[in-house]
Amino acid sequence: MQDFNITRRHFGLLAAGAAAAVALPFTARAAGETAVAATFPGNWEDAYRTVLTPLVKEAGFDLTVAPAMAQDQLAKVMASPGNPPYDTLLMSPGQMAVAIENDLIQKIDPSKLKNWNMLDPAFQGEYGPTVTVEVNGIAYNPDLVPAPKGYRDLFENPAYEGLVSWTGFASNTGVMAYSEIAKIFGTGPTDMDAVFKLFKAHPEHLKGVVASTNHQMTLFQQGEIAVFMCSTGNVAKLKALGLKAEFVQPDTGSPAAPVNIHLTKGAKNPDAAYAYMDAAISKAAQDKLKMPPTEMFPTNKEVELTPGIEAYVKREQLASLVYPDWAAINKNRAEWIRQFDALVAG
Amino acid sequence: MKASGFPYVLPMLLLSVAFFATPLAVLVGFSFIGPDGPSLHNYARFLGDAFNYRVLVNTATLGLQTIASTTLLGIPIALFYWHSGKTARQVIIFLTLIPMLTSNVVRTFAWIVILGRQGPISETFVALGLAERPFTLMSTELGLVLAMCQIDLPLIILPLIAILSRTPVQFTEAAQVSGAGPWRILVTVLLPMMLPGLLAGWILVFASTSASFVTQAVIGGARNVYVPQLIYREVGTLFDWPMASAIAVVLLLSTGILLVAMTMISRHRRLVGHA
Repeated sequence: MQDFNITRRHFGLLAAGAAAAVALPFTARAAGETAVAATFPGNWEDAYRTVLTPLVKEAGFDLTVAPAMAQDQLAKVMASPGNPPYDTLLMSPGQMAVAIENDLIQKIDPSKLKNWNMLDPAFQGEYGPTVTVEVNGIAYNPDLVPAPKGYRDLFENPAYEGLVSWTGFASNTGVMAYSEIAKIFGTGPTDMDAVFKLFKAHPEHLKGVVASTNHQMTLFQQGEIAVFMCSTGNVAKLKALGLKAEFVQPDTGSPAAPVNIHLTKGAKNPDAAYAYMDAAISKAAQDKLKMPPTEMFPTNKEVELTPGIEAYVKREQLASLVYPDWAAINKNRAEWIRQFDALVAG
Repeated sequence: MKASGFPYVLPMLLLSVAFFATPLAVLVGFSFIGPDGPSLHNYARFLGDAFNYRVLVNTATLGLQTIASTTLLGIPIALFYWHSGKTARQVIIFLTLIPMLTSNVVRTFAWIVILGRQGPISETFVALGLAERPFTLMSTELGLVLAMCQIDLPLIILPLIAILSRTPVQFTEAAQVSGAGPWRILVTVLLPMMLPGLLAGWILVFASTSASFVTQAVIGGARNVYVPQLIYREVGTLFDWPMASAIAVVLLLSTGILLVAMTMISRHRRLVGHA
């Protein structure tokens, strides 16, 4: 066998080359100002990368879309306060409250956003603009189960037995559904004992608990489950993949959550971050994001709703949607997570 | 005079201190942060909850089940390799290594298809009349062990192959000539010979399985909770890092104890004496 020989000179060159290769991405990145924007993985990530990158580029900046769930974004920013890994965060009011409490995000300067006045005042948050409103409900496969009327139906109609999937309390979609179920079966939106009791009485539902909505979408595609709690965007994505999926607004009302972009405290590239925010609320972007497979509800007043979105919700219906009390949820969430995880594990 | 080897290991030593020992010390330090200053509060909270005990036992059991299944599958494959010609050996090595070139995440998602209602396992059982209707092995411990077994199988096959390739096949012939039957050869000649490889493989498989967050979460679902998921929950959802650190230290110690026990058993003089 041939021996492996290397001279000291060659080894030195190899080491220098490796060091240069490692340093290369950083020097390349330092050349132009790049907004590092956290977005939800999957549908959001694909859409934001495709639609917003060219618009941010037109404004003279680069955009790096970094996929992370809202809770993960919080955890990562908390891990390095003052030196955040992202310039902007994408989250709902639940996580926004935690971010404000921990001094992780800052108030924005609306004068830096050209499209600010295109937003309805309800979407002009002092900590950042609302880019869409996620309307939640129930996704189902019409080939496997009938259309559910609401949450009660899922527990009482035998047609759904063994085919419903739930997530834990860490998921916003999950916690909004549980708040509604608590209202139906308990004394109010925070009466989770009633929800835990309901699951104990219907142990077949505990078998379908998984970690996240993304995981549920994979199981839905494989025909493993036929029903899960979702946003309209989840169903739009499944339909775009050619799957039989329909969205149902529960008879008790659809929980909804605005999704906002926030500027992190200590953001390294604030100008690029503002360019990204401005692009996200622009007519040009939202005209594209309202189309399948994302079908995001536009917050820019100049953007017309598509028939597909109007089938889920019209602008005048926004006020009548169910907006959870995130302060109450955040106060109890840790305990609910622990209790539910223990219940699921048996 | 023979030069000391210390300068050669110095860079590795410095890297280990900087990137392993220091973070580990920080982790241990964090675990003692209590609400009112340094204390054993997090450990008391973790060990005072029966649910957490069960999670610890589940994690250890999953590791041992995967060790058992990979060993049962790995030994015949390694012996087949030992008795094969050059081409067959290359094919076995190729088939062993090729899954390792695929991401663990991709392999895990492939198992969703295999274990699902419409997957090959369910369809074969229904076709053979062994099951009345399609069934799923997703979110079951059996499904998880099957997936882990496939994912970690190379970790036990490769050390075994490394040992057997240095051993002449004539060993078994000598045992046969001495009158030993196939089972006796396996128990008294082959297994003791393979023991160092098995030990290395067991340690790798156990460490990989007990820390395999993605596969545990995706295949095991929320019903089968293991320690890595608890740590993730504390870090990413509840933001209770001191608690997460305490759980990580408990995982480190408990798996460490099991690995030391395995090492001690395999080095027992009665076992080594056969080699």
